[in-house]
Amino acid sequence: MIELSTLTYLFMAMTGVVSLVATYLAILESNLIKAVVLSAIQSTTYVILFYLLMAPDIALVYIPVSVGLYPAAVLFLIKKTERTENDSNEVVASED
Amino acid sequence: MVRRMNELNTFLFNILLFSLFFNVGISLYGIFARPSLIKKIIALTIFSDTANVLAIIVGYRGWPSPEQPPIPPVITSTEPTSEDLIRFINRAVDPLPQALVLTAIVIGLAVTLFLIFLTLQVYRLYGTTDVRRVARLRG
Repeated sequence: MIELSTLTYLFMAMTGVVSLVATYLAILESNLIKAVVLSAIQSTTYVILFYLLMAPDIALVYIPVSVGLYPAAVLFLIKKTERTENDSNEVVASED
Repeated sequence: MVRRMNELNTFLFNILLFSLFFNVGISLYGIFARPSLIKKIIALTIFSDTANVLAIIVGYRGWPSPEQPPIPPVITSTEPTSEDLIRFINRAVDPLPQALVLTAIVIGLAVTLFLIFLTLQVYRLYGTTDVRRVARLRG
């Protein structure tokens, strides 16, 4: 029989691992829109983590700021500028 | 049996801590090594969020081997008696890191918006958001 505290720690570990995977994919993704969506997924796991760590007020502030407002601002920036991140050094070096 | 459950709790909590520290490492790599300015902004927000979560964890009462389950730092009655206050002090998590993190989230939002419009201005002036191309410009 699993106790309640063990279940809490199990959910904490799961959110930690999911946020680690989402961060890794967001940093290595060259399509910037996919990167923003992955960072929003990572923020959602942090919201669950704040709730489990007994900080519900932080979770309430964090949902609109980090899942709503911030990806909207970055998507606005991507729409105005560039969609992809150029990863290789040769393309930049061959422009001279 | 209790000791084994305690070891399991410690193991699960350590998974959380290690994944947060790996998040710090990955986002620092993103800030320093990725060429695109937009990717740098995304990595910076991930870094600041992870720092906030680590600050919240410092104030958490339920590190493994807790006697009682912790409660949020909220007093539910408007005129608390001394028994209420004693129960609150014994079980509530530390509210000071939460107040600091609440401020840090709002300030981080303002800084992020400033960086976003700075990047937009860089794109309007130079036609690129790649830091290698910006570094090659003369004059």
